[in-house]
Amino acid sequence: MTDAPNDLLAGLRETLTRRHFLCGGSHLLAGAALADLARTESRTRPLPFAPKAKHVIYLHMVGGPPQMDMFDPKPGMAEWYDKDLPESVRNGQRLTTMTSGQARFPIAPSKYSFQRHGECGMELTELLPYLGRTVDRMCFVRSVHTDAINHEPAITFLQTGNQITGRPCLGAWASYGLGSMNADLPTFVVMVARPTNQEQMQAISARLWASGALPGEHAGVSFRTAGDPILFLENPDGVSDSVRRRTLDGIGALNQRLLDDIGDPATRTRMEQYELAYRMQASVPDLADLSTEPDGTWTLYGDEARKPGTFANTALMARRMVERGVRFVQVYHNNWDTHANVAGRLPDQCRDIDQPCHALILDLERRGLLDETLIVWGGEFGRTIYSQGGLSRENYGRDHHPRCFTMWMAGGGVRPGHIHGETDEFSYNIVRDPVNVHDLHATMLHQLGLDHERLTVRHQGLDLRLTGVEPAKVLNELLA
Amino acid sequence: MLPLAALAASLFGVEEPVDYARDVRPILTEYCFACHGPDEATRAADLRLDDAEAARASGVLDADESELVYRITEAEDFEVMPPPKMGKALDAKQVEILQRWVAEGAPYADHWAFEAPVRPEPPPVQDEAWVRGPIDRFVLARLEAEGLTPETDADRRALARRLSFDLTGLPPDPDEVDAFVADEAPDAYERLVDRWMDRPEWAEHRARYWLDLARYADTHGIHFDNYRDIWPYRDWVIAAFANDVPFDRFSIEQLAGDLLPEPTIEQRVATGFLRCNITTNEGGLIDEEYKVLYARDRTETFGQIWLGMSVGCAVCHDHKYDPVTQADFYALSAFFDNTTVPVRDGNVQDPQPILRVTPESERDRMAALQRQRDAARAARDERAASSTADLRAWLEAAAESGVDRQIDASDEELSLALREGEGRAVRASVRGAERTVEIEESAAWVTDGPIGSALHTDGATLALDDVGDFEFDQPFTSSAWVKVRKDEPTGALWSRMDAPNGYRGWDAWLQGRRVGAHVIHEFPANWLKVVAKEQLPPDTWVHVAISYDGSRRPDGLAVYYDGVAQPTTIEANSLDGTTRTEVPFRVGTRTGGGATGAALFDLRIHRRVLTPEEIAALGFATAVGDALVRGLDDLPDAARDGLQAWWLRSEDDEWKELDADMRAYGEAIDEIERVSPTAHVFGERDGDPMAYVLYRGEYDQRRDAVGADTPAFLPALDAGESPSRADLARWLFRPDHPLTARVAVNRFWQEVFGSGLVETSGDVGLAGEHPSNPELLDWLAVEFRESGWSVKRLFRTILTSSTYRQSARVTPPKIERDPDNRLLSRGPRFRMDAEMVRDTALAASGLLVREVGGPSVKPYQPPGVWEAVAMRESNTHDYVRDDGAKLWRRSMYTLWKRSAPPASMEIFDAPNRETCAVRRERTNTPLQALVTLNDPQFVEAARVLAATALSEAEWAGERMDWIMRRLTARPLEDGERAICAAVLSDLIEHYATRPDEAAALLAVGETPISEDVRPHVLAAWTMLANTLMNLDEVVTK
Repeated sequence: MTDAPNDLLAGLRETLTRRHFLCGGSHLLAGAALADLARTESRTRPLPFAPKAKHVIYLHMVGGPPQMDMFDPKPGMAEWYDKDLPESVRNGQRLTTMTSGQARFPIAPSKYSFQRHGECGMELTELLPYLGRTVDRMCFVRSVHTDAINHEPAITFLQTGNQITGRPCLGAWASYGLGSMNADLPTFVVMVARPTNQEQMQAISARLWASGALPGEHAGVSFRTAGDPILFLENPDGVSDSVRRRTLDGIGALNQRLLDDIGDPATRTRMEQYELAYRMQASVPDLADLSTEPDGTWTLYGDEARKPGTFANTALMARRMVERGVRFVQVYHNNWDTHANVAGRLPDQCRDIDQPCHALILDLERRGLLDETLIVWGGEFGRTIYSQGGLSRENYGRDHHPRCFTMWMAGGGVRPGHIHGETDEFSYNIVRDPVNVHDLHATMLHQLGLDHERLTVRHQGLDLRLTGVEPAKVLNELLA
Repeated sequence: MLPLAALAASLFGVEEPVDYARDVRPILTEYCFACHGPDEATRAADLRLDDAEAARASGVLDADESELVYRITEAEDFEVMPPPKMGKALDAKQVEILQRWVAEGAPYADHWAFEAPVRPEPPPVQDEAWVRGPIDRFVLARLEAEGLTPETDADRRALARRLSFDLTGLPPDPDEVDAFVADEAPDAYERLVDRWMDRPEWAEHRARYWLDLARYADTHGIHFDNYRDIWPYRDWVIAAFANDVPFDRFSIEQLAGDLLPEPTIEQRVATGFLRCNITTNEGGLIDEEYKVLYARDRTETFGQIWLGMSVGCAVCHDHKYDPVTQADFYALSAFFDNTTVPVRDGNVQDPQPILRVTPESERDRMAALQRQRDAARAARDERAASSTADLRAWLEAAAESGVDRQIDASDEELSLALREGEGRAVRASVRGAERTVEIEESAAWVTDGPIGSALHTDGATLALDDVGDFEFDQPFTSSAWVKVRKDEPTGALWSRMDAPNGYRGWDAWLQGRRVGAHVIHEFPANWLKVVAKEQLPPDTWVHVAISYDGSRRPDGLAVYYDGVAQPTTIEANSLDGTTRTEVPFRVGTRTGGGATGAALFDLRIHRRVLTPEEIAALGFATAVGDALVRGLDDLPDAARDGLQAWWLRSEDDEWKELDADMRAYGEAIDEIERVSPTAHVFGERDGDPMAYVLYRGEYDQRRDAVGADTPAFLPALDAGESPSRADLARWLFRPDHPLTARVAVNRFWQEVFGSGLVETSGDVGLAGEHPSNPELLDWLAVEFRESGWSVKRLFRTILTSSTYRQSARVTPPKIERDPDNRLLSRGPRFRMDAEMVRDTALAASGLLVREVGGPSVKPYQPPGVWEAVAMRESNTHDYVRDDGAKLWRRSMYTLWKRSAPPASMEIFDAPNRETCAVRRERTNTPLQALVTLNDPQFVEAARVLAATALSEAEWAGERMDWIMRRLTARPLEDGERAICAAVLSDLIEHYATRPDEAAALLAVGETPISEDVRPHVLAAWTMLANTLMNLDEVVTK
């Protein structure tokens, strides 16, 4: 291992490794161009599949939204109020230890009404009026299921394809597979939005955007909502741009002498990184400066988008990042863990995301970016039809439920206005077209032009991949 | 071992026989073994290529008509190997190697790392003058075979700087460097090595590497990710390196210190190694799932550190390449699963099992106190055992003075003994007057009362019209022995309450096995209610008392269990109006509903608030009376023991004094323990370690049970039927163990040279890299073992070699022929680890606080790093920065929160410490530049460095040199000085007219601003220091 994965030789080596899954050996570029690829994207690079998407915006709803209160209406449940979930439905499946000791599993029908929207006729909760207008641009999957039953392993599974921590996450894989489109900005950005209601926040860990076995430069860069958007981006107090420029020139001149003397290529790389850092100091504040947004933006996203750290604000920032060539934008929105008080919390949760998601879809479309940007929305699992804790017609709680939940996607070549999969009358088991997490990942990579079986990294003697060792498949039914 | 000539030949393309280990097996490993390797479950076509015998028997290797060669050359479509669906194909060179190998008779060889190392003879070389020791012979022979020449020694300043970083992790003191440069003695360098190796910083620096392996951190890791008080383990590691504890003992104590004979505190603290794994306390977790994960992590960590193998690959199936079977893995994991460590960390900083580590200075006093406490306890117990005669005497005196002298009986409203044992009539004493009352049919006598019989009530039991008619301002206490079943309904144990009329009155209330009390004028607006927080234990006699002080306030109600006041929950708090009623006092119910069941004994009501002492005595008053009536010897054992215990506690001065002594010693011990840090230690459960093979690694898919054992392909563990963790630890250090020594020296080599002789230092198995210099590795391994596993001696051998001392200059031919310095054709040169980058800034500026060990610290960190990710409930949600000296400790002491590692260090590739990290990455990114340019701790260091330079030296040139020498151990060259002077003059000009900017810059950091320098000058020098601190040379070793 050399000091500098980015230096010429290391760059070449890495690119040669990448060639393996990118080109299938059919089309080699000249060495000089290859060296460049390690850092900046070349649009001429052939991918195994024609890519539909160049960017991903992944909106992770931390805690696990209740699918039957939002996307998967079960009107028949009204008659089951406070009756026990039949044993034949639960069928011995494991429960969390928060409800496994409950004497009863009384059914809590959703208190919310549902309306049919658009040509596709997707039924949405009354709490998502804005998204009702964009259903024909969205692809709903009601039949996602996961292996994990508690937050930490479940979020880790959705983000890295493995419940055990330490594997590279989706964004890191995308960065590794596709590289950067704008060297002055990070390739993979993470934003943690602040929910309006904060009754039951879950842990989000920086490990979720780690690069795992991939080179460290593919780790997500946390884009912060307070202080510097990127850590240590701002010059220290009392250091103006001209002072910084002058000192950087001094550093450059001194490093050049060292390079001439010792001859270590790593020195040249470091000199380049300092210049890149300087350019980032200009381009990131420009990215974060919302003062140039036209009035229409605020009409579309709502005034909440003006407040740093709101979900609406991160949605708008995501659009600005995609515009500027950020590959992968990961947003976390917390407080979906409704073990109790669905009625007191879900309206806030939905209000936080409803208009901004709708706005993001329309905004990207208007700017011609929706086709090349894959939006993914979903939590780490669903919730149970039976109530945890006290149950009334007006309020109830729901425990974690890994057997089925709803996610949706938009743009990036997914099939618009499509509703995929079906659950039983209890929204407890999947009865048609189950979608597992590995298949979902394979599909996402496919839309980026990457083959999930060939996008690998050598780790502890194995070719590690996002979709694990069991066979996974691209879900063509979800694609346009 | 590999003949050098063959290696050279292969590199130069000369036709030499292929070497199985070097050339062939890597290809088979990558392309073939997945389906034709050791894993039976995935083996295709019943063909096994990893086993020489099986492969030969299959016939695919027959030289004249090899199926293998056919499949990789001529075959088409479905026959071609590897199959196209595998997504990878052999290239022409690989095909050629396999063809040649088959043509040469397909010779197999055992994997180098699985055979015990034998000390090789250092080879002859041409350039004898370059050689200082055996290491150099191995390296030089290789270089000469490659046609490369090594570099000469680096100049003394560069060498001293490199040595300082390798020995202490810190830049050298420039004066010491000057002294070394001037030292003409032939052993000047060796003496420098010895001197620096004896410093405490040596131990800190070595420990810092080890902590990556041990996955040491200061929080639990998952979910709440709360603080974990485990730093005494970290300090143990430092002390071990300081004392040069031999590597075998060092390892054995961490793996099994608790199982050694009469383990010392230190040996038990060492087992904190096994407690460093990430843990959780997430609400819905399934314990078995995490129990399996913890054992797996410990096993994988063990494999990585001592075997240099990723045994975790065999969690789900037999290993694809290495001869580790799934059963091997679980047999190994059994050693680490037979533990008393619970799954849930409880979100506390000191989950059991723990050990309070008495500070060295307090140990003698602690031991003395413990002896004194034990002696006092023995004396007290002795007094108890010999007190019966005195109890008898007391009882006789009590008989004369009246049994109930403990409690003034003049305020007694009611006494119901409830001990008749038969019939429906019970005796009652109402305000001193005896009478008889009838009990209901539903009540039944039981024989297991506190003393003899008691009455079990089931709802309404008896009524007394003229008892307990209290006004709201009347104090009173009601009490009885009570025993309830697990599922007793909510209701009144006894009451005088009129339920149909606004529940007026009072009661003793049972609610979910908690005792409470009501005092009510009118429900639900005008009443008091409290309920004890604790439940009564089911089916156990408890003396219950409830007192009311007439204050009309809820805190005027108290509930006692066995004489101890209980914390209560206030459920109603407003009373203003009469509580007197017409209805009778009832046992077992209220009037008009609210019945419950309970066994009762000795029910009394007093018209005042009894003191806690009286209440305690009340519990035994009956026993005393009983003893007087029946004689002490005729009491049931339990009643007699209870009576005696109460008597000692409340009446016997001798016992009370001894007890107070014991408590005083106990408090002194507690006092020391409160300031003693917590060591997390490992504990072994009884029974033989065992584990289940888990199908696909899933915790609920148990298959065969396996006993603890080591993998079959390694030397056998000769430890009888049920080997222990200690046996496993000792097994690592058998002289014929092929892995332990090699893996360890390879990692130490990596610390110095940037990469190991085996580059994949966590994997020396079949899929790992071949050693770049196998003989050197084996020589070092045997040397390490035979020297008694001394780490200091090993480092001394390495650091005094010519190989280490080479100049780091890189020439174009060497970039071409030895781009990554795998052949060691020059000195090591690479970017330093995160901690070293920060520590350099602190040390060079003089800010560094050189204090060894202690609790972790929280230096400067931008706001929001923890807050953005942590749960609000977490006690590591808010980053509260420390002040003063804690800002400038070595980086290894920075508090490591796993879900948000120290921000500036993470950017420099510090691992997250969740799993064992054998190698750190070394990236080179713009975010790193932003840290050293802008992070306040670096800016403050630049300011302090500048201020000191201004006071230490007079002329600008000298001052620049002074800064450069602090950072790089050398003065500036003339050309560099000219560049610095130009930068400085521009900066001075800039800040001269911008006092606000200068003031703002100088205000960064807590260190006071030096007042005797003009601000614009100091600001300019600060930025010049900042410039120099960002040079490639400064962040590079």
